[in-house]
Amino acid sequence: MSCFFGGGLFTIMVASKALEGQGENQESAICTVAIRLMTQILNWEFRGKLAVLGKSRASTLSSSPASRKSSEQLQLWHDLLVSPAKVTWILNFYEHIHQKGNAWLDLPLSVVVRQLIVLMCSLNGSIFPTDGAGTQEQHLQRLLNCIISWIDPPEYVISAVLAGTSESEMLDGCRALLAIATLCSPSSFDQLLLSFRQTGTLSLLSSLTCGIIKASCVRESEEPSWTYEALEVLLETWTVILQPADLSQKVPLPPSGIEAASAVFQTFVEFEMKLSESSALDEDDADDMAAFSDEAREDRLSAVALIARTVPSVSLSLLTMLVSKCFSEIRQSLGSETTTRCLEQLHWLTILSGHVLADPGEGETPTVPESILAVSAEPATHPAVSLSFALIDVAQQSLDATFRTTLSPRMMEAIVWFFGRWVETYLMPDHAGRGPSSTPSGHEGQEVSVGVLFDGRNALNAAFGKDGGGPAVLEILVRVALTSLTAWRGEQVLQEYVSSRLLPALVRRRNVCVQLLSMGSWQELATVFARQDQMLLSLSDSVQRALSGCLCRSAQGLANADAANQYVKDLLMPMAASLAEFSGRKDLATFSQQPNVIHQVSCVLERLRGAARETIPRTQKAIFEVGVSIMKPLLVFMEIYKNQPSVVYLLLKYVVVWVDAEVVFLEPKDTTTVFNFCVQLLSVYSAHNIGKVSVSTSRSLQNEAQTEKYKDLRALLQLLTNLSSKDLFDFALHADENPDVAQVVYLGLNIITPLISADLLKYPKLCRQYFTLLMHMLEVYPEKVAKISPEGFSQILGTLEFGLRQQDVEVVNMTLSALGALGVFQYQALCKGDDGLGTQSRTSGGDDVLSHFLKLLMHFLLFEDYSNDLVEPAADALLPLILCNTALFEKLKQELVQRHQDVVSQERVSTAFHSLSKGIEITSTIDRSIRRKFRSNLFVFLNDLRGFLRTR
Amino acid sequence: MSDEEHHFDNKADAGASKTYPQQAGTIRKNAYIVIKQRPCKVVEVSTSKTGKHGHAKCHFVGIDIFTGKKLEDIVPSSHNCDVPEVTRTDYQLIDISEDGFVSLLTENGDTKDDLRLPTDDQLNAQISSGFHDGKDLVVTVMSALGEEQICALKDIGPK
Repeated sequence: MSCFFGGGLFTIMVASKALEGQGENQESAICTVAIRLMTQILNWEFRGKLAVLGKSRASTLSSSPASRKSSEQLQLWHDLLVSPAKVTWILNFYEHIHQKGNAWLDLPLSVVVRQLIVLMCSLNGSIFPTDGAGTQEQHLQRLLNCIISWIDPPEYVISAVLAGTSESEMLDGCRALLAIATLCSPSSFDQLLLSFRQTGTLSLLSSLTCGIIKASCVRESEEPSWTYEALEVLLETWTVILQPADLSQKVPLPPSGIEAASAVFQTFVEFEMKLSESSALDEDDADDMAAFSDEAREDRLSAVALIARTVPSVSLSLLTMLVSKCFSEIRQSLGSETTTRCLEQLHWLTILSGHVLADPGEGETPTVPESILAVSAEPATHPAVSLSFALIDVAQQSLDATFRTTLSPRMMEAIVWFFGRWVETYLMPDHAGRGPSSTPSGHEGQEVSVGVLFDGRNALNAAFGKDGGGPAVLEILVRVALTSLTAWRGEQVLQEYVSSRLLPALVRRRNVCVQLLSMGSWQELATVFARQDQMLLSLSDSVQRALSGCLCRSAQGLANADAANQYVKDLLMPMAASLAEFSGRKDLATFSQQPNVIHQVSCVLERLRGAARETIPRTQKAIFEVGVSIMKPLLVFMEIYKNQPSVVYLLLKYVVVWVDAEVVFLEPKDTTTVFNFCVQLLSVYSAHNIGKVSVSTSRSLQNEAQTEKYKDLRALLQLLTNLSSKDLFDFALHADENPDVAQVVYLGLNIITPLISADLLKYPKLCRQYFTLLMHMLEVYPEKVAKISPEGFSQILGTLEFGLRQQDVEVVNMTLSALGALGVFQYQALCKGDDGLGTQSRTSGGDDVLSHFLKLLMHFLLFEDYSNDLVEPAADALLPLILCNTALFEKLKQELVQRHQDVVSQERVSTAFHSLSKGIEITSTIDRSIRRKFRSNLFVFLNDLRGFLRTR
Repeated sequence: MSDEEHHFDNKADAGASKTYPQQAGTIRKNAYIVIKQRPCKVVEVSTSKTGKHGHAKCHFVGIDIFTGKKLEDIVPSSHNCDVPEVTRTDYQLIDISEDGFVSLLTENGDTKDDLRLPTDDQLNAQISSGFHDGKDLVVTVMSALGEEQICALKDIGPK
C-alpha cells in the first residue's frame, strides 16, 4: 500500500517533467512504470483474508467481520483510491496528455494511464462508505467527466478516427462505459451524465453505438477492425444494462433509454440490411456454412435481440414491415440478381426475428419474452403475431412448386431454423400452472396490471393456441418439413435442419404430438416413411436416424400404451419385414451385393437405430418386438456383408443402441433371447475377422480399414458394457431367474479379445473402453473368472499384463484395480479354504499366475519408470497379491538383499522391507484402514529403496 | 495377355461390372463411387454451395481401389453418381504357378486360374511364404467394373 502511495507521490514529481518532454524521455518511462505498478496493485485480489476491498468484477462482497485493523486500512485505501484530490490529479494528468494530440495517444504512458482510469471506474465494494452509494456516484461522475472527452461527441470522435486518429482512446472510453454500467442500475447510469449535461448517459451510449455501426459500414473490409471491437464492448454494455447477471435486480429502462434502444436497433437493422444486400452475391461460402453456429455472430444477434425486446412494438413492427417488403419483392422476381439480394436480406431478417421473438430452448422450456408478452393488442395487430404470420406466409408460399424455384436452399434453412426455435415458444403453449407472477422480475410485472399481461398472452393464444390458429400453423409446418425433405433433393444442410431442429421441436411436447397424430400431413409423412419410399431413402444417414426418431417419439401423443405400440409397429414393421424378405432370398449372395440393396439395407438399419434411440417406456414393447423379429436376418446379413464393413458397422451400432434402450425393461425370458443373440452376433463377427490380413495398395485405404476395425470393436465393447449394466437394474431380482450376465460378458470378451491387436489398442479410446470393461468385470464378478475356459483366462491375464505396460496412466490404473480385485478374491478364498481361482491359477508351467503378477509388480515398482500417481493403486493391488503368497514375497526380499555384498546395504534393504509390513495385521478381510496404512508404507518403502536400488 | 482381356470382357457381360445410380448427396465417406470410369473408395466428401443462394454440390476425393491412385470429382448433390458393384469373393488357394498366376478353388469345385499374384509386395510375400509353408490359405478377390485383384488373405490353419 505504501508502495502505491509512494508510487503516487513519485509519479507526481516525475510526471510534470514527463509532460514537458517530447514523449520518449526517461521521465516518461519512469512515470509509465510507476503507473503500471498502480494498475498492478489495483488488479490484486482484495477479497482474500482482508476482505476489505472489492474491486471491479470482484464487486459486491458482503461486509465480513471487519476488525479494527481492517477498517483502518479501509480508510487508508479509501483516501488513496477514491479521494477526490487523487482521482482528479490522475484525471488532470491524462487531460494534459489528451491535449498533446494524436501523437501521444499510443505512447506507453498514455496507455497505462487510461488503463488505470478504466480500472478506477470498476472500483466497487466496501471501499465506498455506506452512504447510499452517494460517494460512489460522485466518484464515477468525476471519472466520467474526464472520459467523456474521449468519446463525445461520437460523430466527431468517430470521424476523427476514420480520418486517422488513433482509436485506442475511444476504445478505452467504451471499456470504461462497460465498467461503469456493470456497477449501476440503468437509471443511475443514465443520471451520471445528466448532472452536468443536457442528455443522459444512455443517449450518449446510443449515439456512440449508432456511430460505430455506421462506421463499420464504411470500413467493412479491414479485419480485424476497431469498429468490430468497439461494437462488441458497446453491445456488452447494453446487455449488462438490460440483463444484469442477477435477474432479480432487473429494472425497466428510463424513458430516455427506450428511445436510445430503439435508435440503436433501427440503425443496426439498416446497416445489416445494406451489408446483406452487398454481400448477397459473394462467392465464398466457407464461413457461411457455419453461419448459425458461429459464436461471435450468435452473441451479437442475442445482444441486439435484447435491445429489440426493450422496444417490442417498434422493433417487431419494423421487422414485419421489412420481411413483407423483401418477400413481396422476391415474389415479383425482378431478375435474378435483385432476387438474390432480397433473399439474402430476408434470410438475415428471418434469423434476427428468430432471436428477437424467442430464446433458444436447449435443455429448458423457453417462454415468450416478457416484454413481448406485455404488449397489449388485438390478436390481429399484436406485433409478435404479425411478424410470425409474415414468416408463416413465407413458409406457406415455399410449398408452392413453381414459387419454390425462386427461393434458395439457404433461405429455406433460415425458415426452418426460425420455426424450430419459434415452435417451442409460441405454438400451442402449455400454460398449466404458469402465471405471470412466476417470472423472475415478479414485482415489476405487478406494477403493470395483471390484465395487461394477459392481454398479450391472449393475443398470442388466439393466434397460435390449440383452440386458435395453432393447428393450422402446425399443418403448414409439417408440410414445410415434408417438402424440405422431398423436394429439395440433395440439400443436406436444409434436411439436417429439418430433422434435427424443426421436427424434434414439433414432437417435444405431448399436446403438440396429440395434434400431430390427428393430422393428415403427419400421417402422410409416416406412410411415406414406412413404405420406404425412394424419396425419403435418398436422405443422408443422420437425417434418416433423426426422422425415424421423431416419428417414433410422436407416439407419446397417443392415449395409451397399446395404441402407441401399434403405431410404432406400423411404422417399423414394414421395414423389418423387408429385411427378413431380403435375407430369405435364394439369390442372396449376388442380390445383397448390389449397391442399391446395400443402400436400402443401410437406410433401414439407420432408421431402426434412430427409432431405438428414441425408445420411451410407452413404445418399448414395439421396439423390442421389431428388434426380435430381425434377429435372424441380422445374423444372415452379418455373414453376407462380411466384406462390406460399412454395413457391418451400422448393424453393430443398431444392436448397441437397441440393447442399451431395451436392457432396462427386459424380463428374464427376453433377456435370454437378447443375450443369445448378442453372443451369436459376436461369434459371427469374430469368425470373419480373426486372423485376417488385408493389404491395400494405398496407405490411406489401409488406414481406413484399420479405422473401420477400430470402430467395430468399440461398438462391440459398448455392446458388452451395455449388457453388463443389466445387472445394475436387476439387483432386486433373484439371481437364478436371470440369465447370467457375467458369463455372457466373459464369453463375449473371450470372443473379441483375440481381435483386439496391440496395434488397435494404440487408439486411446478403444484401449480405455476395453480396460474399463475388464476392470468392471473383474471387480464385480471375480468368481466367474474361475469358471471360464483356461484359454479365456490366460487371454484375460495376458491383457492385464499388457495393460500394466501401457503409457496411459489411466489404463495402468484400471489394470491395477482389476488385478487388485482378482487378488482380493483369491485371498478371501484362501482364508475361507475355498478353491478360489482353483486350477485356473496354475499356468502351464505350474507357476501360480498371481505370483507372476506379484513379481511383475514388484519389478515394475522398483526398477521401472512410472508416474507417482500410480503408487496408490499399485499399493491396493500389491497388498492382496503379497498376502496370497507370502512365501514368494519373502523370497523376493531375500533375493534383493542378497544382491548386495556389504552389510550396510543389506541392512538398508531389509529395514525397508520391514517398514513395508509395519502395522499391517493379517486378517481374513482387507479393510480400508489396512489399505490406507499399506499405501503410506509403500510410499516410504519406495522412497527409501527405489533410488538406492536403481543406482547400485 | 489377349486371353486375359477377353476374359474380363466376358465377366463384364455377365453383369459383374454393373453400376448403379445413387444420389450424390447420399454417398458417404468409405462408400464406393465411379470417378473417371474407375472404381474408387471415397475417402473424403465435402459439400459446398454455388454462391450463397445456390444449390449444394459435393466434392469427392476417391482412391482407386485397384491402383491406389487419387481421383477427384465435383457433382451437384441432387444429381446421381455411378456406384460400382464391388464384390469380394473368398477362394481357397491351391497353387501358385511359376509365372505368377494363382490357381484358386471356387465354391462349386472348379478352378479359377486367371489371376496373378497381387502387386503388393507384403501381401505377395505372405501368400508365397504361407503357401510354401503348407498353410491352408483363403484369398479374397475383389472385383469391380470387370477388374479383379487379390486383396486379402486369411490363414485358416495348417494343413
